[in-house]
Amino acid sequence: MLSRRDFLHRTSLISLAPLVPSLLGRIANAASPDADAKVLVVVQLEGGNDGINTVVPFADDAYARNRSALRLDSEKLHRLNDQVGLHPQMKAAKELFDDGRFTIVQGVGYPNPNRSHFESMRIWQTARLDAEDRGGYGWIGRALDADRARLAPGQAGAIYVGSEQPPVALWGRRSEAAAVSNISDVSIPYSVQKLIPTSSPTVASEAPAENLQLFTTRQVLSAYAAAGQLQRDLRSSRASTLKYPDTQLAEHLKIVSQLIQSGSSARVFYTSQGGYDTHAAQLQTHGGLLRDFSEAVKSFLDDLKANGLEDRVMLLAFSEFGRRVKENDSQGTDHGAAGPVFLAGHKTASGLVGSTPNLSDLEDGDIKMSIDLRRVYAAILEDWLHVDSVSILGDRFEKCSLVRA
Amino acid sequence: MSNKSPVPTADDPWAPYTPDRDNPWNRERVVHLHRRAAFAATWEEQERDLKGGPQQAVDRLINPKSSALKEPEREFETLARTIGDAAMVSGSPARLKAWWIYRMLYSPDPLGERLTLMWHNHFATSNRKVDDLVLMREQNDIFRKFARAPFGELLQAVLKHPAMLVWLDADANRKRKPNENLARETLELFTLGVGNYTENDVQSAARAFTGWGVADGKFTSRETRHDTSEKTLLGKTGNLNGDDLVAAILEHPATAKRLAWRICRTFLGESPVGDRNQTALANGLRAKNLDVGWAVETVLRSQLFFSQQSLRNRIDGPVEWAIGMLHSMEQTNPPPSTLLLAEWTTKMGQDLFYPPNVGGWPEGRAWLSSQSVVARAKFGAALVEGRLWYPPLTPDLHKLVRRHRNSDALHDSVSWFMELLWGESNRDTVDEIVDAVVSKPDGDKLGTAVAILLARPESQLS
Repeated sequence: MLSRRDFLHRTSLISLAPLVPSLLGRIANAASPDADAKVLVVVQLEGGNDGINTVVPFADDAYARNRSALRLDSEKLHRLNDQVGLHPQMKAAKELFDDGRFTIVQGVGYPNPNRSHFESMRIWQTARLDAEDRGGYGWIGRALDADRARLAPGQAGAIYVGSEQPPVALWGRRSEAAAVSNISDVSIPYSVQKLIPTSSPTVASEAPAENLQLFTTRQVLSAYAAAGQLQRDLRSSRASTLKYPDTQLAEHLKIVSQLIQSGSSARVFYTSQGGYDTHAAQLQTHGGLLRDFSEAVKSFLDDLKANGLEDRVMLLAFSEFGRRVKENDSQGTDHGAAGPVFLAGHKTASGLVGSTPNLSDLEDGDIKMSIDLRRVYAAILEDWLHVDSVSILGDRFEKCSLVRA
Repeated sequence: MSNKSPVPTADDPWAPYTPDRDNPWNRERVVHLHRRAAFAATWEEQERDLKGGPQQAVDRLINPKSSALKEPEREFETLARTIGDAAMVSGSPARLKAWWIYRMLYSPDPLGERLTLMWHNHFATSNRKVDDLVLMREQNDIFRKFARAPFGELLQAVLKHPAMLVWLDADANRKRKPNENLARETLELFTLGVGNYTENDVQSAARAFTGWGVADGKFTSRETRHDTSEKTLLGKTGNLNGDDLVAAILEHPATAKRLAWRICRTFLGESPVGDRNQTALANGLRAKNLDVGWAVETVLRSQLFFSQQSLRNRIDGPVEWAIGMLHSMEQTNPPPSTLLLAEWTTKMGQDLFYPPNVGGWPEGRAWLSSQSVVARAKFGAALVEGRLWYPPLTPDLHKLVRRHRNSDALHDSVSWFMELLWGESNRDTVDEIVDAVVSKPDGDKLGTAVAILLARPESQLS
């Protein structure tokens, strides 16, 4: 046992290297036994994505009737069947679809749709419809609370990649979410380089009651070693042939990939792509967003595949609402209700799920919800994160079939 | 391990510390006291306390107002208020954080700020939901005002302030439609602790709290929403309301016990505090109307606190660590950017006014997640490179050493910093650090050495 006096008078930290467990490949902590746990990556499409111009029901006569300025040429769509096709800019997503790695859940929403960005986002993030419950914890936070035993205190169950506060979705009663804003967060100064043990570890024992000095030495040195390794990984992955597009979403997903590769203990990663609130001159903007989204997701999945991680990761993309069927007078669309949700990954069921919205059967000018968002969440909770959905969603919802066995 | 017993005498587990051969009053203990109960100490403060002895050193922390600081203190409060008001006007959470950082850097009552930090964690409330800087600042001032008060006064003030009521959904808690959030966390986290109440108590407590809420930014109790039916709660029965609940909680022995736990955890870290110690402290608290000031003083004056086993047995939290390093190294004039400091403590895992959840920061070993550890090392590098100032301003560490030591040769300087921060130095570690920097081709060798010192495991412990 290392005494306090030894601690202060140890000739060299290097001599402690054998005590440092598993130096490499662990950024978030050194105690997670669960290296194969499934990982969920959530991409929040902010502003209300125009689902009708994303998964386009070109065969519905009402499409052309309601969209004159914004109508997409059916010849240019990436057809999924004889009813719907993806936006012309979603070539990358179509490739994933053809490759069995992309699922489109159509008409996802919730009863009594709310058209406030803030309120509707809260509903999606908390999966609570009652206004008084929406101040509570997020659906992912609750899931991580249920999965809490797996993590050491202070170990983040979720990581938000972005420059703001972690979103409500990740708030839990006890679980924690960390935030990473950019890649320089993981670069290390000279002082750390000098303290990284050079010899490789041999002992991985970890008695929980070990004395604090030993714990601290081990924790600090393994953190530096992991940071050094991560920095090397980043340098080499930057130089690798796996190219991500030069967009913010792609940069964020690249960070997620690197964190997963480095053995992060987090089971959920969360990031967002803004700009979907297209009230005016939507055509160009929206196409650009969908292209960036599709290409970033494709690069991300290809990267995971190249690193043998494709079976561990599922990506979920949603927006707080869709947009009004009828375009407005500014070549844009106003806030709507239900819209498509995407799942991407090697283990997703792939294909089209749910019925294609009928643009003539509307409620307050919006397409009707055909799938309750909680049915999507139930599937992810049960079939992907393997936690009980009833306690988290407050009721049993019939799961959509979204995950391949 | 040389097992010098903490020597609580048989009759009093909180017997006061008197220096002896095994537990001498030395720099190590001076540093220990200031890193635990203040924001570390400058060399001059250390010299002063070494000469003055433990009694005086603790006195100064316990009763800062009795010392001859009246005028500077008024100046400090005036300036702090101006900064706080400006933060409110700006509407920027970053400025609110900077306000508190400013207080911690310059307050003549560092123990008061440490206790404010303790209560912020005990009653963990986050602005991410409260979303109101005025309320968050008011709550923070409540923590400060009642920092050493009888716990009942603090509890009343916190529970009847909108920040907590918004945070735990008090307005959603109504007759026939109770929301248990405030009730559950009050029993579980703020007072009794798990195992000292039943689920029925939680439900009854929620009903007792019905009617409490916020109107026009102030606490209100609405009779129309209050559930007047009979409730049984912690062994009491009747039409109990929120005040009755608080009274029942304060009488309950588990509250004193949990308070004793919180205070021991804050000041003693992982020191071997036996059941006997906690029980004795809890009994004392009960006998003294839950007087927190008394309990804190008892701990800080104790033999246990200054025993060999208590030294370097607590992991500093990010805020106290960062402020302490700046203060002890005399790097507060010119003032570092308090905005940048708040950003740094966030990277290290402690985002003031945004605790991770209602349970607060888990503290202790949990402070040393890999990301936080690396952030601490980066903070050390930023400090010596002057990147905590805006515009950047490299500290003259040589000048600092020369002020207190005859020689500013690299070995001597590193050794001095080690004494300043750890309370003692040793030749081998000094050599190791010097070896690591002599090969560095560019830059200030002493600065790099200090950055390494700050990044070492030893520096994370107080």
